[in-house]
Amino acid sequence: MSTDAATLSDPSDPETGSVLSIKDLEVSLLFRDGSVQVVRDLTISVSEGETVALVGESGCGKTMTALSIMQLLPDPPARITRGSISLDGRELTTLKPKQMRKVRGDQISMVFQEPLTSFDPVFSIGSQLIEAIREHRSGVSKKDAREMSIDILREVQIPEAEKRIDAYPHELSGGMRQRVMIAMGLILNPRVLIADEPTTALDVTTQSQILELIKREQEQRQLGVLLITHNLAVVSQVADRVAVMYAGEIVEQGPADLIFSDPQHPYTQGLLRAIPDMNSARTFLLDIPGRVPDPRATPPACHFAPRCPHGIERCWQEAPKLERVDERHQLRCWNPQPLDEHVVPPDEWREDREA
Amino acid sequence: MLKYLARRSIYMLVILFLSTIGIFYALRYASGDPSSSALNPLATEEQRDVFRDRIGLNDPIYEQYFRYMGTLLQGDLGESVVNGRQVSDQLRQNGKNSLILGLSALALSYLIAVPLGVLAAVRRNTWVDQSALGGAAAGMGVPNFWLALLLVWLFSLTLGWLPSAGCCSWQQLILPTLVLAAEGTAIIMRMVRSSVLEQMNQDFVRVLRAKGVPERKIIGRHVLRNALIPVISLSGLRFGQIIGYTLIVEVIFRWPGVGFLLVDATLRRDFPVVQFFSIMLIFFVVLANWLAELGYGIADPRIRRA
Amino acid sequence: MAIATREREDWEQRAAKLDARQLSPTKEALRRLWENKLTFFGAIVVLLYIITAIIGPSLAPHDYADQTLSDARIPPPDSTYPLGTDALGRDVLSRLLKAIQVSVIVGFGTTAIALVIGTLVGLVAGYHRGRVDTLLNGLTEMVWGFPLILIAVIIIGVLGPGLKGVIIAIAFINWAAFARVVRGETLALREREFVVGARALGKSDLHIMFRHILPNTMPAVLVMASFYVAFAIIAEAGLSFIGLGAQEPLPSLGQMVADGRDLLLTNHWLSTIPGLTIVLLILALNAVGDGLRDILDPRLRIER
Repeated sequence: MSTDAATLSDPSDPETGSVLSIKDLEVSLLFRDGSVQVVRDLTISVSEGETVALVGESGCGKTMTALSIMQLLPDPPARITRGSISLDGRELTTLKPKQMRKVRGDQISMVFQEPLTSFDPVFSIGSQLIEAIREHRSGVSKKDAREMSIDILREVQIPEAEKRIDAYPHELSGGMRQRVMIAMGLILNPRVLIADEPTTALDVTTQSQILELIKREQEQRQLGVLLITHNLAVVSQVADRVAVMYAGEIVEQGPADLIFSDPQHPYTQGLLRAIPDMNSARTFLLDIPGRVPDPRATPPACHFAPRCPHGIERCWQEAPKLERVDERHQLRCWNPQPLDEHVVPPDEWREDREA
Repeated sequence: MLKYLARRSIYMLVILFLSTIGIFYALRYASGDPSSSALNPLATEEQRDVFRDRIGLNDPIYEQYFRYMGTLLQGDLGESVVNGRQVSDQLRQNGKNSLILGLSALALSYLIAVPLGVLAAVRRNTWVDQSALGGAAAGMGVPNFWLALLLVWLFSLTLGWLPSAGCCSWQQLILPTLVLAAEGTAIIMRMVRSSVLEQMNQDFVRVLRAKGVPERKIIGRHVLRNALIPVISLSGLRFGQIIGYTLIVEVIFRWPGVGFLLVDATLRRDFPVVQFFSIMLIFFVVLANWLAELGYGIADPRIRRA
Repeated sequence: MAIATREREDWEQRAAKLDARQLSPTKEALRRLWENKLTFFGAIVVLLYIITAIIGPSLAPHDYADQTLSDARIPPPDSTYPLGTDALGRDVLSRLLKAIQVSVIVGFGTTAIALVIGTLVGLVAGYHRGRVDTLLNGLTEMVWGFPLILIAVIIIGVLGPGLKGVIIAIAFINWAAFARVVRGETLALREREFVVGARALGKSDLHIMFRHILPNTMPAVLVMASFYVAFAIIAEAGLSFIGLGAQEPLPSLGQMVADGRDLLLTNHWLSTIPGLTIVLLILALNAVGDGLRDILDPRLRIER
């Protein structure tokens, strides 16, 4: 797998302390009569104690990215066809399956979206935690593993941990199950935690608690967190850096406050504008017209061109690369425009009013 | 769990009650008037009536039913009208044979079907899978009597390795067991396969991989346990079906079991025998189902600790 | 702001072509049928059997009950008796044709009865739920899974040997399987928007059940019917084999196989011909069932 010379310099270089570093990742689906790229030209990194949010609509490739880090892509048909992924400098894509297995759960952990179906229903949560421990630390006795499990359950604030440890997954609430999942991910003190939509299946109050929990653990353990979500509210609560993905590519990347206050890419702007805001004078909802392109027929140059409010000819002829706009801000766009506060309402709204 | 068990138990009792009453009533009606065979053909209607009264045939039907069940439970199982033998004797002799045959077939079918099903699921779409599925299709499609004839023709008549009928050596057990196990093996294998495949698509399998658990443990410890739960429930059904097919297989191979007895009695219109063994077999079918449901409830913690 | 460039037009065409590749559901189903040649041939075979059942016996060269003892055990092929004769001098071909008729009628007939009863029960139980459902479903659960052969023997024990008992027994057990499936489908379907919409429009329960829900349960029912016809045919053959089914002189495929059993080494055709006849029909029915399942809903699973 070749590593092309990047046209940008990564704000978090391997030499300056990033824990997880992905360069020029390309993930393809291979079929008998051709292949489809679902992730392309992806470069991103996560440092110790930093939360990076990977944001985008469903189908944009963010989950594929997460799975490729873990080498858990459903193969066939998905496969990493290009790029490198390294943990603390160690290349993961060339590891043999057995070696990668040792990394999973121990140095990189992943937390998933659906807490109920993520547990084996016929084993207690305790035995599933103990399993995680003893898989990677063969010397640990069952008793010690149980103690460790109770401790971490307390840490994630499960009440009566000594009793709950023997409970079955269906006996816990959704929020508690998610806590246990996080506990399972953290129990071996990994370097990186990947969280794929950890709060989407939960109600809003629980969401907040879970995010707080993740933040707290991160600070205590100096953990690197890659948070994958489509929910910008979640992002604003916990992210240090944000990378916005569209149709398999990162279109904008930078510090969270900057992205929220001064989004440059038209897609990012569209996302932010779509959030209903009680305080604004605007009385209609704005969405981004059009659909996400079918991965089998992506637009020839810029993927966002068909839906872009300020596209130019070049957007259809030459693919924009991810380039630095600022010290820590990157952008993939030929014609960025500042966020336009004077927005034209959609036609239906105007017709209603005029009637 | 208790509620689950209570419901299954009610079903069991209702079925037993309804079916035994049904059988009793139907056979009472079918067996006709014993007074014609017991008394002089010139007996008058009044004399017949007195006779019927003495035997208890003029009592209301439910009284007769409870009386019959009462005598059953006391161990008097009636006697054959054909050869006068005690039904209890016949039960003792033939019951053992049927048990041997039935349990052998059941064990054989599970021993083959479960590993094969798991293998087929894990090696999905390979030649292993295709041949297993093909074998299952054949096993289900071919009528058991035809399979029996084929096996007899091959192993007894042509090769001379195995006897074609009779009891009770282990050689004579082989062919009937094979035939009896065939259909069940196919069905169980398919069920195990689809159950395993279903489990392998579950979210928790992905999480286990993310934890770094090796694939063989994922399948052997997690997938299998979950996949076999519905199979437990199936086994009650399977046992019932085997009881049914035993009737045919025992006749084909002249294996002197309860099935053979029942079919023979049916052909000869030997009502007391038919009555008892019908009730007994139905009892076992219902019991097997109930036990299987119980097992299912215990195996699945979502029911056990509901 | 729409930019019109050559590249854009190219792309829009490509995207449109991808959309168009989705075929209509009927065309999709037919395409799958054509790809599944096994099912196709299976269907043809079944059709041939049905035709044979209808006109076969009237075309038979001899009366199936006619015994000519001097012509016993003539092997096929023969000018007078194309498929030979049995131990009593009866023409195998004529008996075969009649036996096919018996099997087809019993198989399809009992399944039709079971299908109708079962579908009605399942529909009513699934739609109304509550107490009606508890009652009907309880009844269904009790009957379902009971060994057919045992029930058949008991019923025959009461009624005496003969096809009447066999038919009653098969229909008596098999309806529960249909009821189960239809009930499941109905429970799911009744929550769908088109049903809720119909209720909102004030349509009567009967109308909704029969006009909206019933047609949507048909795919599952048809797949099952295929397998259950095979099942019924095997059951009848098995019962006839041990003497409880079709009685002399009426021939049944199972009975013919049994008759030939003792002569397996010398006159094997007496068993092999009817045996293969049955096996072929069963395999064809299974192929049709499998194919229907793939065509109508790949996710459907059948349990017997």
